[in-house]
Amino acid sequence: MRISTTQSQQQGINSILNQQAQLNKTQQQLATGQRILTPSDDPAGASRALELTQAVSVNDQYQSNIDAARTRLNLEESTLNNVNSLLQNVRTLAVQANNSTLNNSDRASIALEIRQRLDELLSLANTKDENNDYLFAGYKGQTQPFARTAAGSYIYNGDQGQRFLQIGPTRQVAVDDSGTAVFQLIRNGNGAFTTLDNTANAGNGIIDTGTVVNASAYQAHNFTITFTSSTTFDVVNNTTSTTILTAQPYSSGGSISFNGIQTSIAGAPAGGDSFTVTPSANQDVFTTLKNMAVALETPLNSPAGQAKFNNAMNRSLTDIDQSLNNILATLSGIGARINAIDSQQDVNDAYTLQIRQTLSTVQDLDYASAASQLNAQLLALQAAQQSFIKVQNLSLFNYLT
Amino acid sequence: MPIGDTLGVSVSGLIAAQRALATASHNIANVNTEGYSRQRVALGTNTPQFSGNGYIGSGVQVSGITRIYDAFLIQQVRTNTSANSQLQSYYNMASQVDNLLADSKAGLAPALQEFFNAVQGVANNPASIPSRQVMLSSATALTDRFHYFDRRLSDLNNGINSQLATAVAEINSLAAGIAKLNSSITTAQGANNGQLPNDLLDQRDILIAKLATQVAVTTVTQDDGAVNVFIGSGQSLVLGAQANALSTSTNAFDSSRKEVTITVGSISTTITDNLIGGITGGLLDFRRNVLDSAQNALGRVADGLAATFNAQHGAGQDLNGVLGASFFASGTAQVLARIGSNPNTGTGVVNASITSIGALTTSDYLLQNTGGTYTLTRLSDNTITTLAGFPGTPATVDGVTISLASGAINTGDSFLIRPTRNGAANIGVAISDTKKIAAAAPIRTSATLANIGSGTISSGTVTNAADANLQQSVTITFTSATTYDVTGTGTGNPTGLPYTSGANISYNGWQIQVNGTPAVGDTFTVEPNTNGVADNRNALLLVGLQTQNTLAGGTATYQADYGQLVADVGNKTHQADINRKAQEALLNQIIQTREAVSGVNLDEEAADLIRYQQAYQAAARVIGTTNALFDTLIATLRR
Repeated sequence: MRISTTQSQQQGINSILNQQAQLNKTQQQLATGQRILTPSDDPAGASRALELTQAVSVNDQYQSNIDAARTRLNLEESTLNNVNSLLQNVRTLAVQANNSTLNNSDRASIALEIRQRLDELLSLANTKDENNDYLFAGYKGQTQPFARTAAGSYIYNGDQGQRFLQIGPTRQVAVDDSGTAVFQLIRNGNGAFTTLDNTANAGNGIIDTGTVVNASAYQAHNFTITFTSSTTFDVVNNTTSTTILTAQPYSSGGSISFNGIQTSIAGAPAGGDSFTVTPSANQDVFTTLKNMAVALETPLNSPAGQAKFNNAMNRSLTDIDQSLNNILATLSGIGARINAIDSQQDVNDAYTLQIRQTLSTVQDLDYASAASQLNAQLLALQAAQQSFIKVQNLSLFNYLT
Repeated sequence: MPIGDTLGVSVSGLIAAQRALATASHNIANVNTEGYSRQRVALGTNTPQFSGNGYIGSGVQVSGITRIYDAFLIQQVRTNTSANSQLQSYYNMASQVDNLLADSKAGLAPALQEFFNAVQGVANNPASIPSRQVMLSSATALTDRFHYFDRRLSDLNNGINSQLATAVAEINSLAAGIAKLNSSITTAQGANNGQLPNDLLDQRDILIAKLATQVAVTTVTQDDGAVNVFIGSGQSLVLGAQANALSTSTNAFDSSRKEVTITVGSISTTITDNLIGGITGGLLDFRRNVLDSAQNALGRVADGLAATFNAQHGAGQDLNGVLGASFFASGTAQVLARIGSNPNTGTGVVNASITSIGALTTSDYLLQNTGGTYTLTRLSDNTITTLAGFPGTPATVDGVTISLASGAINTGDSFLIRPTRNGAANIGVAISDTKKIAAAAPIRTSATLANIGSGTISSGTVTNAADANLQQSVTITFTSATTYDVTGTGTGNPTGLPYTSGANISYNGWQIQVNGTPAVGDTFTVEPNTNGVADNRNALLLVGLQTQNTLAGGTATYQADYGQLVADVGNKTHQADINRKAQEALLNQIIQTREAVSGVNLDEEAADLIRYQQAYQAAARVIGTTNALFDTLIATLRR
């Protein structure tokens, strides 16, 4: 085939230009470490890389959410640990105060201490988080949840909302508990019912807090145990207005059983004295402590008064135990959540690692093969340049004289 | 044989060699001339003379100078040049979009991610004003990014307008040149007994080749040597010595878009859609197949984001305790009535609105009144939908509802509808007050403290934020372990409803569940979330939108929809690159073939120089010999 001089030159130049373009691209790939320089290099890969990059970022965000969740749960945990030791302390005081050897002024000083603990508890319940939101106010983060009214009772201004954070693609974790759940939703008495002495009782009968011994027979009804004399009593179901037991013989400390309920009365009740058994209701921890303080502040000057005091302290002790149980249950719930976010963090870490590996295979350059490619291209370019010079020097005109 | 004859024969040899040497040097001189076809001297013997004892040769004559030329190859070069420059210009434009999307720092993806991270920040600290400020700032950054991309795509459109104008000017000047050469060639050919003016022919071929880089052409050679040039679907650009002018005109619907028009006599015809090949074809192809759909696709992401985010934001409650306002401002569907030289004759104003984000395509639509019947053509695949009942009742196609806003549409009137074209340009952040971010849910639920039973109430979800009674207080009171009453505005106060643990209870646009075993007299309330500033329930739902398939018929997230655009443009550019390289190789090959036939080889010419130099020297030698013979004769006679 004929070769035209211009064409042979042009072809030589074209091949050098092509080699240079390829070399330039390989050089750029090596300089950036990226296999895909523009989406057109690998459209599917580029779009995949976008998805994977988003997956990594979203996962990173979950990890920082986990940090936020942990901070908040740690704050709640340490606050509730303080509440726990405060209540333990109060319980010790209550046991000590229930000792009949104490005089009125001793009880008054214990009452004073309990009042101080109450203030401390109030301030713990009004703890704020690092963003100045009240921890136990539910959704009403800017509203102080617990307050003492002028009348001395305690009210809750928060709500029952609970905040969740997203810690995984399909996983949300609660990062607080409402004041209601922690401090208010506490059953009084033994959890099923509470026993109460009539304030007008003339004898010194002290009623036990009792237990449910037969759950299937138990009904959440109001009952009254009325002493018809100092040795006999009747039991009436007030809810259905039926008399269950009549003229039962009384023995101090002997068990009294009806409708699945078992309790006992100790001491010497007088005829006409009565005790009630009512279904447990929610009683907040502040009221529990306040009731205890009020009982301790009342001076004792009669056996009947002493019995009333002992009845009140018995109730308070079971109520405090209920409160402690609730705090401990909440604490173990928090512990479970912290465990959950720890394991979620591991899951997220593993996922991120895996995605990063995939992302790396999609968009990162294989340096070894790129470097050897660069060498091959350099060699090819040099060969093209050298052969171009040699071939272009060949001309018949060189020999014409 | 007379001595004078020998001289004559020798001189004819000298002249022939001179002509051949001149041609060789012409070839050498034009070795680098683009499109030059090498020329050859055709030699023939002179008519022999009869001298009684036979015919005596009377020397050589130059019978013509021809260019070595293959019309088929020239045609091939032209066709391939057109295809090559079309792909080249298409690729150049497409790679601009490709590069625009390639920048991982400046792309849309990081801005989208930043924004949703900021929403997570608000979910983590709903009452924090700094977190809210970050969300607003990153939303603005996101919408700025949409604007930037849209601006760049619009710039490309403007660039195409000016490139079309340049191409049209170039085509006109080339067409005029071809017409002029046609006239010169016809004259030269007629005046010289059909001897071809080689260099003029080459020049015309060069002009036609240049024209082919601008637009694909077809040529027909006339008997008189003129070449007629046609473009598009047979529109005559050059007829003999007459060239018709192209011009750019404004699109019938969109004044920001230039079209190509040819004027023959007094009749102008828009031929944009017929033009293929060359730079012009590449530009138009890019505009039709890449630019329009890229801008629409980007708009769809923006519209989708705005609509879905606003819907969820509206179902939340802001720090002021009111339902969320629109977070993003968004674009409306673009409706363009036909204007220009053949405008709509009716007074109809058509309105189009996006009613279903999931159903949107990235296509444009053409609404036409064809004699009382209205048709809507989806321009991406020319699917025609007949709009029954239109304009009496609005019609909905592909998530777009089209209605007649006012006036009447005459037969023959048409409208161009671009549902998502403005999306990316018009998206904005509609709120500037951090308090107006609706991170909270509008309702809260609670169980009454005095409840005896173990029943619990769920935190509730909003199913219809538009319900007027959404934030009314509602109380659920259990009348037995298995029945309950509901009281509150909007509920109708039903009584004795059967209770199932965990079953949905829905009123006033919300839905809750009660679980467990409530006791008689237990109550639960649903009420407005007053002061619920630390509530992040709606923020969590907003965060969830990032990973939900809300777009493209419920198959794509925002990110995936954008990724589809990136992959689409990447694919088209990649394809263009492959085609371009293949076409370039093909073109080089055909040019090589043409050069093999018509190109100058200097070694060949050097050999010719030697050959004709020797022929000249030989002929001159014959004259010398003849002279010696003559001298001999004269000397003999002198004695």
